[in-house]
Amino acid sequence: MRPFARGENPKRELWLMWFAVLAFYQLYTVVFFVLTRTQPPGSPSYTAAEVPGWFASHHDGLLVGLALIFVLGGLSATSIALITYTIRRMSVSRAFAYSYLILYSVSAVPGFLFICVALTAGAMRPERDPRLQQWLYDLGFLSFSGTMGVFLVGSLVWMAAILLDRNRVFPKWFGYLNLCNAVTEVVVAPAWIFDRGVFAWNGLIAWWINVVVFGIYTGVFINLLRNVIIREDFGTGPLPDLPPRRARRHTAAAEVA
Amino acid sequence: MLSASNKRLFAAWIVLSAITAAYLWIDHSADDHGTPVASTSATVGAIVLALVKVRIIMREFMEVRHAPRLLCRLTDLWVVLMAAGMLGMYFAGKAVA
Amino acid sequence: MTTTQAPPTEAAKARRVPGQPDMWVLVLVESLIFTSYFGVYLFYRAQHEAAFLQEQAHLDLWLGIVDTIVLLTSSWSVARCVQNARAGRYPAAVRDACVTAALGLLFLALKIAEWAGHITAGHTLTSGEFFTHYFFLTVIHAVHLLIGLVVVGIVVRQLADPRRRDQQVVETCATYWHTVDFLWVLIFALLYVAR
Repeated sequence: MRPFARGENPKRELWLMWFAVLAFYQLYTVVFFVLTRTQPPGSPSYTAAEVPGWFASHHDGLLVGLALIFVLGGLSATSIALITYTIRRMSVSRAFAYSYLILYSVSAVPGFLFICVALTAGAMRPERDPRLQQWLYDLGFLSFSGTMGVFLVGSLVWMAAILLDRNRVFPKWFGYLNLCNAVTEVVVAPAWIFDRGVFAWNGLIAWWINVVVFGIYTGVFINLLRNVIIREDFGTGPLPDLPPRRARRHTAAAEVA
Repeated sequence: MLSASNKRLFAAWIVLSAITAAYLWIDHSADDHGTPVASTSATVGAIVLALVKVRIIMREFMEVRHAPRLLCRLTDLWVVLMAAGMLGMYFAGKAVA
Repeated sequence: MTTTQAPPTEAAKARRVPGQPDMWVLVLVESLIFTSYFGVYLFYRAQHEAAFLQEQAHLDLWLGIVDTIVLLTSSWSVARCVQNARAGRYPAAVRDACVTAALGLLFLALKIAEWAGHITAGHTLTSGEFFTHYFFLTVIHAVHLLIGLVVVGIVVRQLADPRRRDQQVVETCATYWHTVDFLWVLIFALLYVAR
């Protein structure tokens, strides 16, 4: 453990990042599922005549919710930074951390920015030609659901790093869970072909099952990032084990003080 | 000792292949003079036989037989879960139809 | 966890998880994900039995049985590979792993031939609900099989080099291969036999 100046607590900075990650995913869920009701996605089988109705019924939510994302979406960088930090803490080559960082630095665009721009553009002028509205609607949802390659390869890079790592930063089972998540990202691909049924962008297989897997995966990795921060010793060797629950509450209290 | 476990693997493979061949009989008996007809018993039979094979693969090939009891029970529970999931959805679909 | 009669060392030897216990997370999660795909397929199949049967008639049951036996044999081979490696018979273990990979490739070749046959006959991903599920399940399984070929490659590389040999890695990889095998056993029953 490298020496720190008195009063300096490097973990405080990591905790700041971790709470930002937590805040981002809460925001993401609230905006997409509650405020804008863009998730679960609208039906891909809507005709040009039906799409303006969808925009009308979602108008206020879209403008308010997506404005929040435009203001605070940058918070997504914290989770990428924290994960890259943990890969740097592993015994593996830094190339893994760089790959992850570069891959995910473009993830915000397919991950949420594109759908936000397309749907706010649709909500801005409800009187626009319905066929153009339908185009924006398709563009929005397809850019969101149909662009999983970044996350697929990102998951695989993270998996490879975890499985090769000798510093025990993440448990190996989480490496395997990354593979499960990566494979479900493949399953969204048929959303480009089908406009109804279980493989469409709101389908049972292409959307519902994936969201459940992704939700569990996200919950698990946020929890594991927390464990890594608790275990971090700022050294280079294997990370120490998680201290028993009781001792942990003690050190947490000491850190706050 | 080793040849015994080798024999056991061979026996497992024979049983698995025999069950696979038994599907021919299910398929044949479910046909109505050569034309395939919907059959609940054939579907349920196919699923149950497949799960029996899954359990044999887990027990023998994946060596769950020698694993701690927890893993034995967990894999058995999973076979039951898979059966419940598949048959449940199948009969739910029938009920809807 | 251990039996009371046997001495602790014996019991520990008798009851241990093959390979990394962590791999079982993948086995259990993947089987649940696949069960959900199967459930969706069966749910829609039960509702449109006639349409599914009509399309299903274009499948060749014999081909499905050959596929299944090929994969079962590959699984048997990788199980022997684990036992040979455990007994220190590395050349035999490498041979078993190579047989596994060859059978995996044979399975893939049979699948590609089958897909090509269906596509040229006009049965594609979008031609009907049954074929949508057929192509989805077989392709997603083939993706798992391709990963499996990489995994068996790791086994061969480990066993061929005396400095790398690690029984735990061999067993972990074998567990993955068996998972690919038993998922196919289920897919075969559901696509080729279910009525």
